[in-house]
Amino acid sequence: MATQQNCALPSGFQLDHYRVERQLSLGGFSIVYLAYDQDGTPVAIKEYLPNSLALRAEGEVTPHVTEAHQGAFRYGMKCFFEEGRALAKLVHPNVVRVLNFFRANGTVYMVMQFERGRTLHDYAQKNKGNVRERFIRGVFTRMLNGLREVHAHKLLHLDIKPSNIYLRADGTPVLLDFGAARQTLMSDTPILKPMYTPGFASPEQFTNRDALGPWSDIYSVGASMYACLAGNSPQRSDDRLNNDTVQPATKLWAGQYSHHFLATIDWCLQLDPLKRPQSCFALQKVLAQRHREAPPPQKTWLEGLGSRLKTMIGRT
Amino acid sequence: MRFTIFQESRVGKRRTNQDRVAYSYTRDALLLVLADGMGGHLYGEVAAQISVQFIAQSFQQEARPKVIDPILFLSRVLSNAHHAILDYAFDKHLADIPRTTIVACLVQDGIAHWAHAGDSRLYLIRKGKLAAQTRDHSRVQLMLDQGLLDAESAAVHPGRNRIFSCLGGSHPPQIEFSRGTPLINGDVIAICSDGVWGPLDTDTLVQTLADGRVMDRVPQLMNEAEALGGTQCDNMSLIAMTWHDDHQEDTPDTVSTRTMPADAFTTQMEGFGRNKRDQEDLSEDEIERAIREINAAIHKFK
Repeated sequence: MATQQNCALPSGFQLDHYRVERQLSLGGFSIVYLAYDQDGTPVAIKEYLPNSLALRAEGEVTPHVTEAHQGAFRYGMKCFFEEGRALAKLVHPNVVRVLNFFRANGTVYMVMQFERGRTLHDYAQKNKGNVRERFIRGVFTRMLNGLREVHAHKLLHLDIKPSNIYLRADGTPVLLDFGAARQTLMSDTPILKPMYTPGFASPEQFTNRDALGPWSDIYSVGASMYACLAGNSPQRSDDRLNNDTVQPATKLWAGQYSHHFLATIDWCLQLDPLKRPQSCFALQKVLAQRHREAPPPQKTWLEGLGSRLKTMIGRT
Repeated sequence: MRFTIFQESRVGKRRTNQDRVAYSYTRDALLLVLADGMGGHLYGEVAAQISVQFIAQSFQQEARPKVIDPILFLSRVLSNAHHAILDYAFDKHLADIPRTTIVACLVQDGIAHWAHAGDSRLYLIRKGKLAAQTRDHSRVQLMLDQGLLDAESAAVHPGRNRIFSCLGGSHPPQIEFSRGTPLINGDVIAICSDGVWGPLDTDTLVQTLADGRVMDRVPQLMNEAEALGGTQCDNMSLIAMTWHDDHQEDTPDTVSTRTMPADAFTTQMEGFGRNKRDQEDLSEDEIERAIREINAAIHKFK
């Protein structure tokens, strides 16, 4: 199937009760808009629009789906509903809230709370090599609260990565984008390939989808923490199975971060699912622990202060 | 209500899987149901599917969050399922009426009630021992009861698959009901089709499930049954549920219904929508329904 770029709805477009402001992001499966409801409250609206199956040309509203793709388009819609169902049940401060779900323009839309802030990915890029351990521990411990709620509903997120973790202005994390979330017990043979980001997906996501479990999300959490330190994701886990070139965090950042923290990252990044923390709670317990070995002072007092100030400024 | 549950259904060496399994629970009630469509007859699969789907749906409609009278409920839904099969056969002008065995178990207020017709079984395992078991509605079981056969010759009897009661078919089913059985912590309820209990002996089933770790034990038993079933392996289905005290510590796989809203339910049904055609077939109605459901969920939890 040829991939094509879909055109976003234009600014000012009246979509159900909402007025589209601008496009926030464009994925292979959907477009996300910033829009305002009747009261002028900003919302994020996700439009189901798989690139490979539906095409909206410039100036059009209803995407064109060829006869041959109707089936797959409808099936993908089912998956989109799955995401809606998953999120509708979840009410948690660390999980993005769904507000409405509607049908228009031959496709379906999910309205979500609009969160101000930025992604952990942006934050880590901006503070490259300067992300503090306490910050990471704090963000991930709280983010895991949300993920625990997800797992408690017998769902897996399956696409955890720094760009799906949003940091609100007050620094609290929100878990976004449940496009890959599926009811774990569903016996579907997917027509549309599941979407995930290679560097953050667990090896079982590539090879053995029967083995998926909370530990698969834990792998992605580990890869995300790793990316906060490294600036980019570790090697793809399916490549790691053949030729593992990932250096353990304990080796790469020895001295800069506590050994306890680095060992926790390596623990999550184990290729064998059984060797990882088996639940969010297990990982949270470790992350919340006050590490016994304090990192040795790296910088002079003044430099330390400078970088701290930078982080504080960067955070607001 | 707290329990751990696992269900699995495999096709074995047959061309189609005519077994259907499902469980469904609300805050205060749990239903397990299994049907084994009868292969020798036309559309056994259809009969099994109608029964399981119908019974699970009735449960969802009536258990708010529990049903008024468990025995009446089981009696009504099983007999209605029977009539649903007859109606289906009539509508489609089928030459023969599809048939299926059935076993359904309802737990509420800590008490289990079950009912069955045919040779799909329910076992209640308590403290490592078999505490109760359904009696097959088969000729062989009757002969066993009358002392005309012993267990060994029954296992190889040519007529061992002949049953005298089932849903569908031309005779009204003879449904057998259990007494209400209060469950205690650690009790295991297992229901299975003859594809599972046939190759395995009761001792193996009981011993394996005794520790209550159903998540591991069910697949293990299925593997054993499949290996023993060999090239003639029948469809195999097994649901096992371990009952837990309410005030026990949470283990990862356990379902706790305490925090469920009174009118919510969760259903796990296998065997539906497995083939590609079903998945592509998302009708307008289904889209509307899905959107309504999602919005209902959003507003409920707001």
